[in-house]
Amino acid sequence: MNLGLTWRLLKGGGKGMLGTWLTLGAVAVSTALLLFAVAANFAFEVRGERGAWRNPVPATSGAVAVEASRYDYVRDQAITVVDLGALGRAPAPPGMPRFPAPGEVWLSPALAALAARLPAGELADRYPDPAGVLGDEALIHPDELVAVVGHEPGDLALTAARSDDWVIAKPPTKVADLAGTPSEDSEAYRMLALIASVLMVVPLLVFGGAAARLTVARRDQRLAALRLVGATPGQVVAMTVAEAMIVALAGALVGAVAFALAVPLLAGIEMQGGPWFAADLFPGPLILAAVLVAVPLLVGLSAVIGLRRVVVSPLGVARRETPPAMRFVRVLALLAVLAAFPMLSRGSSVTIVAVALGLAFLCVNLAGPWVVGVIGRITAASARRPARLLAGRRLVDDPRSAWRTVSGVALTGFVAGFLGLLSPGAFESEAGPPQLRVTAPAGQVAKVTEQARRRLAKAGVPATVKASDRVVVAALGSAADAAAVDRARTALAGLVPGRTPTTKTDDQRFGVQILADVRVGTIVVLSVSFLVAIASAGITAASAILDRRQTYGLLRLAGTPLEVLDGARRAETLIPLAVMGGGAILVGVFCATPFMLGGISTVGAVTLLACVAAGFAGVIGAGALSRPLLRSVTADPAPRPD
Amino acid sequence: MNDVLVGRALAKRFGQTVALGGVDITVRAGEAVAIMGPSGSGKSTLLHCLAGIMKPDSGEVHLLGRRIDAMSERRRSALRRTRFGFVFQFGQLLPELPAEENVALPLMLDGVPRAQAVRRAREWFGPLGLGSMETRRPGELSGGQAQRVAIARALVSRPAVVFADEPTGALDQRTGHDTMRLLAEATKHNDASLIVVTHDPDVAAWCDRTVEVRDGLILPSGVRA
Repeated sequence: MNLGLTWRLLKGGGKGMLGTWLTLGAVAVSTALLLFAVAANFAFEVRGERGAWRNPVPATSGAVAVEASRYDYVRDQAITVVDLGALGRAPAPPGMPRFPAPGEVWLSPALAALAARLPAGELADRYPDPAGVLGDEALIHPDELVAVVGHEPGDLALTAARSDDWVIAKPPTKVADLAGTPSEDSEAYRMLALIASVLMVVPLLVFGGAAARLTVARRDQRLAALRLVGATPGQVVAMTVAEAMIVALAGALVGAVAFALAVPLLAGIEMQGGPWFAADLFPGPLILAAVLVAVPLLVGLSAVIGLRRVVVSPLGVARRETPPAMRFVRVLALLAVLAAFPMLSRGSSVTIVAVALGLAFLCVNLAGPWVVGVIGRITAASARRPARLLAGRRLVDDPRSAWRTVSGVALTGFVAGFLGLLSPGAFESEAGPPQLRVTAPAGQVAKVTEQARRRLAKAGVPATVKASDRVVVAALGSAADAAAVDRARTALAGLVPGRTPTTKTDDQRFGVQILADVRVGTIVVLSVSFLVAIASAGITAASAILDRRQTYGLLRLAGTPLEVLDGARRAETLIPLAVMGGGAILVGVFCATPFMLGGISTVGAVTLLACVAAGFAGVIGAGALSRPLLRSVTADPAPRPD
Repeated sequence: MNDVLVGRALAKRFGQTVALGGVDITVRAGEAVAIMGPSGSGKSTLLHCLAGIMKPDSGEVHLLGRRIDAMSERRRSALRRTRFGFVFQFGQLLPELPAEENVALPLMLDGVPRAQAVRRAREWFGPLGLGSMETRRPGELSGGQAQRVAIARALVSRPAVVFADEPTGALDQRTGHDTMRLLAEATKHNDASLIVVTHDPDVAAWCDRTVEVRDGLILPSGVRA
């Protein structure tokens, strides 16, 4: 392969460079987003592993410590309280220089700061005289509130029963080390992150392919010329692939740098109650290297596929015949999957729901080109003006390519439709004055009730304390604000060893947190998908102009107004965008119906509408950006001194 | 015969290269003129200047007595659509449109309703030997058939002048011969003038006269019989 010639071809000059820059930009954007999608998965894994030490694994032999954990609450935040007692020579927990001695309290930096800021009676008195501050290794995120409390192994805190809910508390467990295992909720987050990555990566791959086609589109004439002067197909392929890969590698490096620069911003996206350690979002060097190798390889592969035309025919003549009609079975598949959705409910297993959603997503993608073809036929049949006729015929001619332009938005519309309207209606805030509840050990209900009454009175918190079965309920006065609730919490701390007095809102906090995180995740996925869809639409539009530049040039030369050519291009994107985008959203909403809780979420609907409006506007804007390119390729029909 | 298209003292440079060095040319109604010359002689530049595609650096172009080189691009574009027809070497048909819609396109661009435009387009298929090809797409036509569709498209608006740039360049000799015959006959039959840029004497033989271009200038030559 002649690298020198490849380099000269690459440098090209004039309009050729525009294509190079567009490709480079496209590859940079997709690499940055790909790194984000991959890094997010590893980041959740790192979080899960960092929090694993608080999720004890029972020792089979040689226990060195007893460990238990529970949630405490302050204002609207959860505090993870880890109780530890040494049985022998216990190792230092992560983020601590040594194992905590009995009676010692260690706080995370954020909890220490909050304890110093709030009046002692609201928080600090629960964790008096902290012995030290926990290091980052103990925390899943920098703002996390964690307290580690040392005990004698026989203390009630390490022997009493705890809540049966695994999310709320981990019962006292004898452990052989403090490695632990990632908790069930961190595994759930990893699964959600994986699904989100898949949703983001699929449009990214389509985007990468479009970028590679752009490289080929601007080169095919010169490469056809090389074929005419006797270059072998192998040489032509090698040169183009080398060229595409050089550009892709440069784009991938730019993308990696852009991602690195964006990490501080991305780290601010709150998940699981807090932002990220920036280091967690940096993928390891191996992952980075793999992405930097994979992106140019994928672009090279797409270039080879795009090149077939030139290699097959030295004249580069595209033979266009009436495309075979697409099979209706594609739509039948979608209808069959949709028919199954009403059978699902909130009680269905997560795996079944995930599979059904995946199938629906796949079938929307399968049915897309068929529907675009039908839209094209209707548009062409009803067209009165040349622009609509051209647009309709093009949609019929290559519905897959038209679908590629709008598929990102349509598939994102499906996701938006599904997630946007899911309502957090089940988590209603507590009605009336706040009540703190704690379950008392059997036979001690009266004693605990009396103690609670005395402690609250001493703290100056007006409350009515009653027992209901084994649950002691402290109903605070109607004037109780968040500070009063925290004073009550502090007063009642340790009332029942191993159990935290909680309000109804506290008990729902985990569910609310997951729903809030799903919403943040949805917005992130929608933003990324729409970004990719917009960039993809822009690249596809530019690439389509370069593909057809000769025909466009000759049409303009024969007197066709630029507006007609541009109008046809616009209609070619807008018609399927409106029909498919709207259709996909409706399918998404339909799929979400069995899982809707109560009514439609207003916030969700507004987010959905805003995302869709921004996405549609972006796609139309990206298409409009290539208008100067259309003008430039058609303005100069044949500038040759002949 | 009346003068349809007149070029006076046309000059055009591309950087240091002189493409046209002050050319005078007159084309009469119904006349077929071949512009011949080797590569780089300036023949295509002359065609582009006469067709209003390119503005000459100096000189004037008149169509039926109206000066067109000073018009705005929009007006020249409209003129090209309505008063001129074009046939190129290849690539001028839209691959996704069936043949009849390719021919109807100039009429539709000029505001003729679609049904009427397609009906008028179909009238050209029989005389050009394209019967039953109306709904085929360019990819389903042979090179000669595609060129005949292009001829129909060039003539459908009843233009005053048809410009052809190497119209047989991509065809074999026999097909090229047939295509050129059809082009010459059809333009004459429609009272249109024909200007053909070619370097093929066999193509030029179908025209009433030949203009030889060398180094941006027209050589003195005789009128063909």
